[in-house]
Amino acid sequence: MAPKPIASPVPDAWYPTLAVFMLAVGLVVTASFFIYEATSSRRNRSLAKELTTGAVASVFLGFGSLFLLLSAGVYV
Amino acid sequence: METEMGFSRFALFLFTIALLSSPVLSDLVLSKVDRRIYLTSQIVRYTATLRVENEGSELVSEVLLAFPELQAKNLAYLTVSVNEGKGKQKVSTDDLPIEVVSPKNMPPAVSFYSVTLPKGLAPGDSLTLDVMAVFTHALQPFPEKITQADIQLVVFQDSAYYLSPYAVKVQSLSVKLPEARIESYTKLENTKVHGSEIKYGPHEDLPAFSYSPIGIHFESNQPFSNAQEVEREIEISHWGNVQITEHYKLIHGGAQSKGEFSRLDFQARPNVRGASAIRYLVATLPPRAHSVYYRDEIGNISTSHLWSDSKKTELLIEPRYPMFGGWRTAFTIGYGLPLQDFLFQSEGKRFLNITLSSPMVELVIDKLIVKVVWSGKSSFSSSLDPVFLCFQVVLPEGSKDISVSTPFPVKQWQETKISHLDIDGRPVVVLEKTNVVPEHNKYFQVYYKFNKLSMLREPLMLISGFFFLFVACIVYTRADISISKSSASYLAKQQWEEVQAAIQQVESIINRCLATHDKLEASLRDLSRTGDVQACKAARKTADGLLKDLSKELKPLLAFLQSSPSASQILPKVEDLVAKEKELQERVMTKHSTVVDAYERKSAGKDIENRVALQQQKITALKQEVDDLMEYIDEI
Repeated sequence: MAPKPIASPVPDAWYPTLAVFMLAVGLVVTASFFIYEATSSRRNRSLAKELTTGAVASVFLGFGSLFLLLSAGVYV
Repeated sequence: METEMGFSRFALFLFTIALLSSPVLSDLVLSKVDRRIYLTSQIVRYTATLRVENEGSELVSEVLLAFPELQAKNLAYLTVSVNEGKGKQKVSTDDLPIEVVSPKNMPPAVSFYSVTLPKGLAPGDSLTLDVMAVFTHALQPFPEKITQADIQLVVFQDSAYYLSPYAVKVQSLSVKLPEARIESYTKLENTKVHGSEIKYGPHEDLPAFSYSPIGIHFESNQPFSNAQEVEREIEISHWGNVQITEHYKLIHGGAQSKGEFSRLDFQARPNVRGASAIRYLVATLPPRAHSVYYRDEIGNISTSHLWSDSKKTELLIEPRYPMFGGWRTAFTIGYGLPLQDFLFQSEGKRFLNITLSSPMVELVIDKLIVKVVWSGKSSFSSSLDPVFLCFQVVLPEGSKDISVSTPFPVKQWQETKISHLDIDGRPVVVLEKTNVVPEHNKYFQVYYKFNKLSMLREPLMLISGFFFLFVACIVYTRADISISKSSASYLAKQQWEEVQAAIQQVESIINRCLATHDKLEASLRDLSRTGDVQACKAARKTADGLLKDLSKELKPLLAFLQSSPSASQILPKVEDLVAKEKELQERVMTKHSTVVDAYERKSAGKDIENRVALQQQKITALKQEVDDLMEYIDEI
């Protein structure tokens, strides 16, 4: 069996686009999280909603910053 | 010269031994030996073609090569291959296994290397061996100290006769010098000089261990670039990059510089004033190398040039100052390479296939350290198991594997390195090799196992970092961090929060009421379109039920607000809001019933519109008032 070259699972050329897109989505979700935190009163705030918004935002921000690092040449 | 004196004494000693001791390995005879020594650069390259004949009566499976110990300690690289072709069609086969041996009854101060012949040499047979040896530090500068204006002269010493444990029938030696002045050379009988080449021999019928020292003193202005230590780090990121960082500690290994250095003289006539200085170094990097940098401890060094084509990337770097004999510098170069050119998968294992040594041209490295670092891997025990390394000379067809008998053994150990986004460090395989010449720059392979899921370690770490931030925010907004739980202001705040919560609930109920109104309106529109009175009535029924529930929910909240002292300010507005909404609700209901009635009596569309117009006006006005009130309450 001839050796097969291994490349990155995501093509290098997509890194900047992915970084911008995912960070934008992540920041929008983060903004909605903080708007919710600031506007709803302490007593009728829903923990589940807070946690899901936070989780979605962190997934987008996490992958966004990973691709930002990769596109900047910091290969983690 | 003292060294030459030493040499002759040593030679005399050898002669005596050769005469006294009976030849041990007399079965073999070298019928023809051609030696060529290339002294054109600081690295001494030596090739010898040996015609070996077996004159004994037994099969011989090993041939001994002898080097004087003075040379052997400078020997960096040695290969021997069988030359099977005849005349012009020279076909060299694979390198033969070589090992260092110290046979008994042999003269001292001679190092022996045993070459194993795979098929052996039958009695009466003969074969041709090609020996290639590379020596470092074999050219001695003489004089040892020169000024900036002087040329660099070096001395090379060897034997005019081939030092061998076997008798040699015919032999010749030719020494290739750089195109420059020859200061002096040892003259024997049969010595000829053709331009920059000196020829000794042919000599005939010499016994074993014949030795006749020769010395050649000549001009060599080649830069003696000598790296005392090169640390090469190869970092594999499975996100698509192989990052190479090379730290150099460079010294000019030629004649020491003495006196002053004049930059002006050097700039004006660099070929005369500083002929032997290192002005630049050239590195041949693999193709598609990117993000190349060249810096030292101070920062970026701007004197570098880069060219690239489809076969290679050529980097020319100039040190911060021209380097004269004995001067030192330290610098770092780094570059990124595409992962798919160097990382491969075969039979469930991944392997890195990359060159071992530094890409610098004609550089002698005293100590080379190569580190291979993985990212996205936790430790050796869990995911890097089993790791095995082997050095292979990758042949054009990739057919033969000589990994067991490595052409050059290396020291090897493992360590870990902490880098960005790491918890327990990355696995590192370290290889160390001393006395490295460009001939050592061969491909080596590192095999390992890799789980693709471990690539997700870094993103998961970032994600959990962000998530921790959000959780901290949630905890902060929920935590009650006031110190005095009984103060008036704290209690007032507490009450006010309760009131706020109640008001928000009231608002949400009102909003739901308004939504129900909208639904009723929508059912009216459907009616005008389809004329389905029953559906409209059903909608009305559900709306009635919903509104009843909502007004029930509203009651305790209003009661609470009325009882709460801190709600006294806002209470009238809230009551006003509830009242307005009730009125609005009634209007909507009346309108709904009127329209439905009209439809049941099959009145004309225009008629209905006229009847409802007044109500519609009031509804719109009320809606506006409710909206205004909601906004006002929101702002508090």
